[in-house]
Amino acid sequence: MRLADWVVLCGALAFIVLYGLWRGRGSNSVNKYLLAGKTMPWHAMALSIMATQASAVTFISTTGQSYVDGMRFVQFYFGLPLAMVILAVTAVPIFHRAKVYTAYEYLEQRFDAKTRALVSAIFLIQRGLALGITLYAPAVVLTVILGWPDWLTTLVMGGVAVTYATLGGVKAIAWTDVQQMLVMTAGLVAALTCAVFLLPGDVSFLDAVTLAGAAGRLNAVTFNMDWNDRYNLWSGLIGGMFLALAYFGTDQSQVQRYLSGKSIAQSRLSLLFNAVAKIPMQFFILFIGAMVFVFYIYEKPPILFERTQLERLQSASMRADYSPVEQKYDAAFDLRKAAANQLIEARRRGDAGLWRKGLAEYGGAQRELDAARRASVSLAEKAGGGKINDTNFIFLTFVTRYLPAGLVGLVLAVIFGATMSAISAEMSALATVSVIDIYKRHFRTTASDRHYLAASRAATLFWGCYAVTSAHYAKSLGSLVEAVNILGSFFYGGMLGVFVLAFYFPRVRARGAFCGVLAGEAVIFASWYFTRIAFLWYNVIGCVVVVLTGLLISSLERRVGFSPRGASAPPMR
Amino acid sequence: MTEPEARRASQPDEPPPFLRTWRRVYLAVIGWLAILILAFYLFARRFAP
Repeated sequence: MRLADWVVLCGALAFIVLYGLWRGRGSNSVNKYLLAGKTMPWHAMALSIMATQASAVTFISTTGQSYVDGMRFVQFYFGLPLAMVILAVTAVPIFHRAKVYTAYEYLEQRFDAKTRALVSAIFLIQRGLALGITLYAPAVVLTVILGWPDWLTTLVMGGVAVTYATLGGVKAIAWTDVQQMLVMTAGLVAALTCAVFLLPGDVSFLDAVTLAGAAGRLNAVTFNMDWNDRYNLWSGLIGGMFLALAYFGTDQSQVQRYLSGKSIAQSRLSLLFNAVAKIPMQFFILFIGAMVFVFYIYEKPPILFERTQLERLQSASMRADYSPVEQKYDAAFDLRKAAANQLIEARRRGDAGLWRKGLAEYGGAQRELDAARRASVSLAEKAGGGKINDTNFIFLTFVTRYLPAGLVGLVLAVIFGATMSAISAEMSALATVSVIDIYKRHFRTTASDRHYLAASRAATLFWGCYAVTSAHYAKSLGSLVEAVNILGSFFYGGMLGVFVLAFYFPRVRARGAFCGVLAGEAVIFASWYFTRIAFLWYNVIGCVVVVLTGLLISSLERRVGFSPRGASAPPMR
Repeated sequence: MTEPEARRASQPDEPPPFLRTWRRVYLAVIGWLAILILAFYLFARRFAP
C-alpha cells in the first residue's frame, strides 16, 4: 500500500460514510428509522438492493472462481430476472398494502403469531450465522495479502458500518449503498482495464479473449443436466430462480430495501432494474477473472496464491518435496506461454493446422500446470495447513502486485464498501426483526414510538457487535461465496414455501403452514446429510415440501373439522 | 368493501413510467434474459477450444 492508495481508500470510505450520515439525518421515528419513512426513489433502492447482495466475496471469490473454473458461475444468476418479475407481480403489492415493517409481520396477518415467530426465528438464525462470514471473508484475505491483523480489519469495517447504520437507520444505509455501488463500478472497470493493458504489447484484446476461451474459461452457458453439478443452465434457471425468490422475497435484508419505497411502482422498478443489470454485472466480474487468467499466462503466477501456505512450501523442511513440483510448474508455465503465442500466431494467419497443434500443446501445458498446483496444495495440506482453497486470494494478489498506485486503494475501497453495504443491511434487518417481530410482539407490546426507536438503535448496535465477534469463528469454510450461499439454501426453501402458501393458497391454514415449514427444513437437512444433490436444489426441494405438507394438513383439517384457526383473510393480490 | 379491496384502494397500482403497462415491462425483462442467454451461448461457442 502506497500513500496514494491510503488517500484513495480513506477518502472514498470517509466520503461514503459522511454522505450516508448526512442523507440519514432526521430518522427520528421508527418508521423513518426502519423504512426511511417510505420516501426512497426507485433508483436509490435499486442500487441499494444490488449493493446489499454484492458482498466482498462477490468480487474476491467470483473472480477467482472464473480464473480456475471459467465463467459458468454466471448461470447461477439466470433465474434472478424471473424471480424479480414474480416478486414485482406478487410480493411487492402484498407487502406494501399490508403496511408491514417486516415480511414476517405479514405471516401473522395471513396465518398466526406462531408461524410468524417460527419464520422470524429461522431468519435470525440463518442471517445471524451468515453475518459473521460476510465480515470475516474479506478480512481473512486482506490479512494474508496485506499483512493486516484480521481482528483490525473486521473491527474497522464492522465499526464504520455500525456507526452509520445505528445513527442513520435505513435511509443512511440505502444512500451509502448508492455511493458504494458507484465506487464498486469504478473499481471493477479499473481492474479490467488494467488486466488488459498489462498484457504484453503484441497481445491484443481479441487475442486475450481467444486465449481465455481456448483454456475453457469463457464457458458461460452449459446445457448438461446434472443434479450434482452446481452451475448449468437448468440449475441456474430453476434452482437460481427459487434461491432469488427466497432471498429477495423472504429475506428481510432485501425486503426492507423495497419496503422503503415511495409507492408500489417505485419498489417494482427497483427490483426490475436488478433483473436487467445483475447478470451483465456478474458477467463483467467473471470476465475480469478470465482476463486475470490470461495476464498470468505471460506473468508467472505463484503456485499458491495464499502467501502463508507458499512460504510454508518454500521453507527448508519442505524443500526436498517441493522442488520437483516447482520445477514441473515452471516448465509447464513456459510450455503454456509458448503454446499461447503459437495460438495467437495461428489465429492471425488463419492456419487451422497450427491452431490444432497449438491448442493441443496449450491444453496439455494447462493440465500439467493444474497438476503441479494440485500437488503443491496436497503438500501444503500435509504440512499441516488444513484444507486449502486459494481461489479467494487470486484477484487481490493480482491487484496488490500489479495495479498502479491509487487503483489498489480504489479496489480495496470496493472490498470495504461491499462488505459494509452487505453487513449494514443485514444488521438493520436483524435489528428490525428482533424489535418488531420479537420484542414488540411478545415482550413489550405497548410502548411509545420513541421507546421502539431506542430499541431499534440498541438492536442495530447489538447485531453490529455480534457481527464483529462472530467473524472470528467463521474460519475453514472452503470457497467463501459458496459457503454463504450453501448456508442460505438450508433455510431459504422453507421460508419461501411458507410465503408461497400465504400468497397463492388461500385455503391453507396456520397449522398447515407451521408444520409445512418444519417438514421442509427436515427434508432439506436430510438431503444435505444423505445425498449429494447440489445446494441450489435445496431451495426447490424445501419449498415444494412446505407447500405439499401445508396443503395436505389443511385438507385433513377441513375433512376432520378442526377449528379454522388462522384461516384469516384471502391473499391480497 | 372487503379488507383486501380497501387496502388495494389505499395503494393503487400506478402504471410504469415506460411501455404503458406492467405486463409489457415484465415481458421486456424476460425478453432481455433470453437475449443475454443467447448472447452468452454464442460468445462461449465462438471462443470454445
